[in-house]
Amino acid sequence: MAKPTVGIYGLTGCAGDQLVILNCEDELLDIAGALDIKFFPMAMSGNDEECPLDIVFVEGTVVQLEDKQTLKKLRERAKLLVAIGTCAVWGGLPAMKNEISRQELKMQVYGPTGEAFKTITPQPVSSFVKVDLAISGCPIEKEQLLHAVASLLHGDLPRLPTYAVCTECKMSEYPCLLVEAGQLCLGPLTVAGCKARCPSYGQPCRGCRGPVEEANAASEAKVLKEKGFTWLDIQNRLRTFAAPADSLKIESVEECTNA
Amino acid sequence: MHKSIVINHICRVEGHGGITVNIKDGKVTEVNMDIFEGSRFFEPLVVGRAYDEVAPILMRICAICSAAHTVASLMAVENAFDITVSPQTRLLRELLVHGGNIESHSLHLFCLAVPDFMNYPSAIALASDHPQKVKMGLELKKLGNTIQEAIGGRAIHPVNAVIGGFGKVPTGGQLLDLKEQLKKGLEQSLVTVDLVSGLQVPDFCISPNVFAALSFNGSAYSLFGDRIALSTNDTRDANRYKEICRESVVTHSHAKHSRFNDKPFAVGALARMALNGEKLSGKAKKAKEKLGLSSYSDNMLYNNAAQAVELVYSIERSMEIIDELLAAGIKQEKSIDVRAKAGIGTGAVEAPRGTLYHSYSFDEKGRLAEADVITPTAQNLANIEKDLRVSVENLIDRPKESLAPKLEMVVRAYDPCISCAVHLVEVNFL
Repeated sequence: MAKPTVGIYGLTGCAGDQLVILNCEDELLDIAGALDIKFFPMAMSGNDEECPLDIVFVEGTVVQLEDKQTLKKLRERAKLLVAIGTCAVWGGLPAMKNEISRQELKMQVYGPTGEAFKTITPQPVSSFVKVDLAISGCPIEKEQLLHAVASLLHGDLPRLPTYAVCTECKMSEYPCLLVEAGQLCLGPLTVAGCKARCPSYGQPCRGCRGPVEEANAASEAKVLKEKGFTWLDIQNRLRTFAAPADSLKIESVEECTNA
Repeated sequence: MHKSIVINHICRVEGHGGITVNIKDGKVTEVNMDIFEGSRFFEPLVVGRAYDEVAPILMRICAICSAAHTVASLMAVENAFDITVSPQTRLLRELLVHGGNIESHSLHLFCLAVPDFMNYPSAIALASDHPQKVKMGLELKKLGNTIQEAIGGRAIHPVNAVIGGFGKVPTGGQLLDLKEQLKKGLEQSLVTVDLVSGLQVPDFCISPNVFAALSFNGSAYSLFGDRIALSTNDTRDANRYKEICRESVVTHSHAKHSRFNDKPFAVGALARMALNGEKLSGKAKKAKEKLGLSSYSDNMLYNNAAQAVELVYSIERSMEIIDELLAAGIKQEKSIDVRAKAGIGTGAVEAPRGTLYHSYSFDEKGRLAEADVITPTAQNLANIEKDLRVSVENLIDRPKESLAPKLEMVVRAYDPCISCAVHLVEVNFL
């Protein structure tokens, strides 16, 4: 069987998810042997900008017209598009305050010269193109990436967890940071896959992997209110990595009182 | 003859950039390092956040330098609230930063830069002819990541370094295990120095450089320091960094440019060698002598050699830190009671690519009122343009096809982190 042709690209972002690929030091040469990597500008020169691709891995957020055009072209070239990282899957940090106009932000950071920059409201990849597989995480977990690559090589999509970080945390028997320690922990709302990394260091989950399906944000906000956290702090924490996600939006204090 | 060279996307750099060079009547009229990476507006977006949310957000400016961003951010918060951390925390943070330095320099040398000197398009292509070299590079890179995982809790965007200290400190056993791996890494770093010493460094990019780096008030080389030293003999306190990095906005770049006394300057491994290299000791000192980095260098292509020396240095220093930690008896310390208040604080650290500044002001409730982050690549951009101009002037008679790769090589020597600065080379033969 011919090796699948692969592209790896970063839209606007920190390049952390592409770096996770390069951080598979023990597996990298095997991966490079199993795949025909045609397009990976961060790591190689002589990229094929036009050829059809079996799989394209895309990280980053769409924050400018160029990102949108590049993304659409990659979608047209590829049979399968895999969104990697919370920026690509949920919008990530750049999308935390989309209610503020980009015009205003441009003025603050660049002054009048910033007029020339064509910024748009930051959005995840799925706002513009069909996504065949979404691997979230800030950054993605190496094991999930390798599992996904192995599945894709066998013509399957990987099974990724559909339960919360909270479940992983309980399975590891870490002390509960939310109920016992009264910390602003988003473990109940966040999709698993990191083996409860932050709680394993005694640190609260900040939701960097994005929401689990059917996340009950209103219920968590109610618990947090009872613990004494302010509405602003709760909203800020909910609206950090995946603010565009509907399941994390709570419009009013009443909504969480009734949860 | 009018011509222009336009490189739309510099490959093997982190982020999106390009180069535009315009030439008229055999003279270079314009050289732009174009930064196309989109703006994420980190500084205004983080305003209003509670003090303990700042580092987890701003470390994500960049993946490769996330350890340095984390440490600089935590230092800035702590300075604003007059928090002093324990000697153990200082040593663990230094070890975390060295982990980042080892990972970043290995990645740049073996995966991004060395293929340039050996005429390969990528490390993967290099691996087909020189598998042992690439394998060794990857092992060194992994060593840096292993340190960052052990100390920071994750190789990218550390979770364990927090205000006042660490969530969980490593055990003595973990540190001893790291030291064993560092011993092997030290041997590999010396082989790397041999490899780099055999590379022919081209001479098309020679022009005087002004260097800047943090200066450590002690007898040893360090990636930390309270003072900024320049090769012009000017110095400033680190919290007066704005007097060094006068930023300006240019239309061809989403990253601001920094100038000192209206002149470009350079930061990074070569700048640190120039300013602090005399303080090196042990095998790193010998490596520096072997690579001929004895004086101020006017050729930025030697930055790769400086990175090789620092690879040796960071490994040796990591072993020393582990010895110091073990001698003092590593222990879980009580978490620090943070008393938030209105205040201003600055944190500075030598990231792999040069001096990184985070400066914040907080309101009386400990919410962020203003953030200013100046990254090494942003400081280097004006100097990169200076070097590109010199290179084009030296190579102007060469065919266009051979010029563009040379210009990309100049950009890559700086190891630019464009995500950080907020991508490439285009030379227009008009």
